[in-house]
Amino acid sequence: MKKKTTISKRLAIGKTKNGEQKRLKGVVAGLRKNRNGLNDKIRKQKNALVKKNGELRNGAEKQVRAEEQIHIRTKAMESAVDGIFIIDAQKQDYPIIYVNQSFQKMTGYQKKEILGQNYFLLYGSEADPQVIEKIKQTIRKEKAYHGETPNYKKDGKKHWNLLRITPVQDARGAITHYVGIQTDVTMMREKQKEIDEQREELLHVTRVGKLAEFVSSLAHEISQPLTSILSYAQAAQRMLADREPKLREILSYIIDDDQRAAEVIHRLRTLLKKSKPDMKQLDINTLINDTVELITTDATVRNVDLKRDFASHLPLVTGDRVQLQQVLLNLISNSFEALESSRDVREISIRTSLQDNDTIRVEVKDTGVGLPVENIPKLFTRFFTSKPDGLGMGLSISRSIIEAHGGRLDVDNNPGSGVTAYFTIPISTKDA
Amino acid sequence: MTAHQPLIYVVDDNVSICRALKLLLQAYGFKVETFTKAADFLAYKHPRQQSCLVLDIRLPDIDGLALQEIMAKKGITIPIIFITGHGDIPMSVKTMKAGAIDFLPKPVTKMKLLNAITLAISKSQAQLKKQAEIDKIKRRVKTLSPKELEVFQLVAKGMLSKQIAYKRGTSLQTIKVHRSRVMQKMQAETVTDLIRFAQMAGLTSSQN
Repeated sequence: MKKKTTISKRLAIGKTKNGEQKRLKGVVAGLRKNRNGLNDKIRKQKNALVKKNGELRNGAEKQVRAEEQIHIRTKAMESAVDGIFIIDAQKQDYPIIYVNQSFQKMTGYQKKEILGQNYFLLYGSEADPQVIEKIKQTIRKEKAYHGETPNYKKDGKKHWNLLRITPVQDARGAITHYVGIQTDVTMMREKQKEIDEQREELLHVTRVGKLAEFVSSLAHEISQPLTSILSYAQAAQRMLADREPKLREILSYIIDDDQRAAEVIHRLRTLLKKSKPDMKQLDINTLINDTVELITTDATVRNVDLKRDFASHLPLVTGDRVQLQQVLLNLISNSFEALESSRDVREISIRTSLQDNDTIRVEVKDTGVGLPVENIPKLFTRFFTSKPDGLGMGLSISRSIIEAHGGRLDVDNNPGSGVTAYFTIPISTKDA
Repeated sequence: MTAHQPLIYVVDDNVSICRALKLLLQAYGFKVETFTKAADFLAYKHPRQQSCLVLDIRLPDIDGLALQEIMAKKGITIPIIFITGHGDIPMSVKTMKAGAIDFLPKPVTKMKLLNAITLAISKSQAQLKKQAEIDKIKRRVKTLSPKELEVFQLVAKGMLSKQIAYKRGTSLQTIKVHRSRVMQKMQAETVTDLIRFAQMAGLTSSQN
C-alpha cells in the first residue's frame, strides 16, 4: 500500500513527459506481476508445509496407537490366568521365546531359566515319555495339540495340565511359531474325583438299601408258608398222640427243618439290618446342592434342565446326610425317567420352603408325562413298578427313610403336566 | 374244658396260616374262629367267654395296629397276641405299649404260641370276672327308682344327707329313707361300697 502511494505521488508530480510516463507504467506492471507470482509461491509452499505437517502428525499418532495396542496385548497376556508361552518354530531346537507370569508361577521356573530352552525340558524326568512323544509328533505334523497331561514343577510337585498348542503362520502360510496355553486343572480333577467317589458311595448305599428291603420282603414271603407248615406238623403230632411213632418221628423232622429254614432267614435279616442312621444337623439347601452336583453330568446327557428355587435362611434339620441324599436321588432319577419320553420342556425344579414353623418342605417337580391315576395309590407298595427294569423299591424305601426322620413323603400329578414328589422334614430342635 | 373251651380268634390274610393255626389250636382243645380280613372279625358277634385274638400285624384292609386301636375304642377287650413275618421292632414296642400280650415272629412255634395264649386267656378270664361283677352292679342300679338313683349319685359324689336334703328342698328324713333303700337294693354295707359300685357302673368318674 505504501509503495503504491509512493508511485502514484511520483506520477502526480512528474506529469511532465509522456515517455517517462510510459516507462514508469511498464515498471509498475512488471512489479505487480512479480508480486503476484511471489504470493502464489508462498501459498503453495505453505500448503505443502501444512500437508507435510499433517502427514507427520498422522504417522506419529498411528505409531503411538500401534504401540498402545502392543502394550495392551502384552499386558493382557501377562495378566492371563492361564500359562502362555511362544515357541520359535524356525530354530532347530524349538526354543521358548516368551512366557507370561502365570506360566512362571505354574512351572516354578523363572523367566530367565526358561527362555531359550526347549519346552519339554520343563516336564522333568518323571514325565510320561509317551505323552511327550505324542505332543512332539503333533507339532512336527504342524497340527494343533490338545490334551490333559501330568506335569512336574521345578520342585518336583505333580500337577495336572490342560495343554493346547497352536501353530502361528506368517503371511505366506509358513509356520513360524507355536503358541501354547496351559491351565492347571489339578483342583478340578480332585473335585471331580471327590464327586465321583461320593456318587459311588451313594450308589452303593442305595444298592445295599434295596437289597436289604428286598431280602426283608422275601423273608416275609417265605416265613408265611414256613409258619403254616410248622403249625400243620405240630397239629398232626398232637393228633397222633402216642400212636404211629414212625409218623411222629417224620413230623419232628419236618418241624426241625422248618425251624432251620426260619433260622437262616432270621440270620439273613440280622445281617442286612440297616446300620444306625448318622443323625447330624444339616442345611437342606446345601444338601440338595451337593446332591445335584452328583447328577449334573447325568442331566446334561439327558438334556434336562435342572432348576433350583431355594428359600433362603432356612433353619437346620436333623438327619442322615447319605439317607436324605438317597431320597433326593431317587426322586430326581424318577423324574429323569419320566422325562425320557417327553419331547417339549424337559425340566426338573427343586424347591425348598418353610411349610410352617416346625417343618421344611422339599419339592421335586418335573414336566414329564405324569402318572396314570390308578397307579398313584400303589406307588409306595413294595415291588410295584412301572419301569421295565425297576425293582419297585425306590419310593417305598424313600418313604420309610423320610418317616424315620419324622416327616412324610408323597407324590402327585401336577395340574398341568408332570409329577411333583415332595417330602417334609421337621426343623432341628437343638440350638444351632 | 368242656362247655367253656376258650375261643381263639385268628386273623391273618394268609388262608393256609389260618387253616394251620386252626388245626393246631383245635388239637390243643381250643375253639377256633378264623378271619382273613380285620373287618370280618369286627363284624363278628363276639360271645362273652374266655377268648383271645391271634393277629397278623400286616393285613390288607385294616392293619393290626389300627385294629388294636379300633377295638380299644369300641370297648372290645379281647387280649391280643401279634404275629409278624417282618422283623419290625418299633412296631412291637407300640403294640406292647397299647396292651398287647405278646409279639411273636413267624414262624411261630407251638410252645411260644401256647404260652402266650395261656397268658391271654387268664387275662381274659379276669376281665370276664370283672365284667360279670359290673353287670351285676348295673342290674342292681336298674332296680332303683329315679329319686333313689339321684340320691345314689349324690351320695357317691361324697355329699352328706343334709346337703342333699338342702339341695333337693326336701326333708332330711325323706333323704335318709331313700338312702337306706339305695344301700339295701345295691347290697352295699358301707358308703365306701356305694362309691365303688357307682364307679363300676360308670355313674361317676373315678377322678371325683
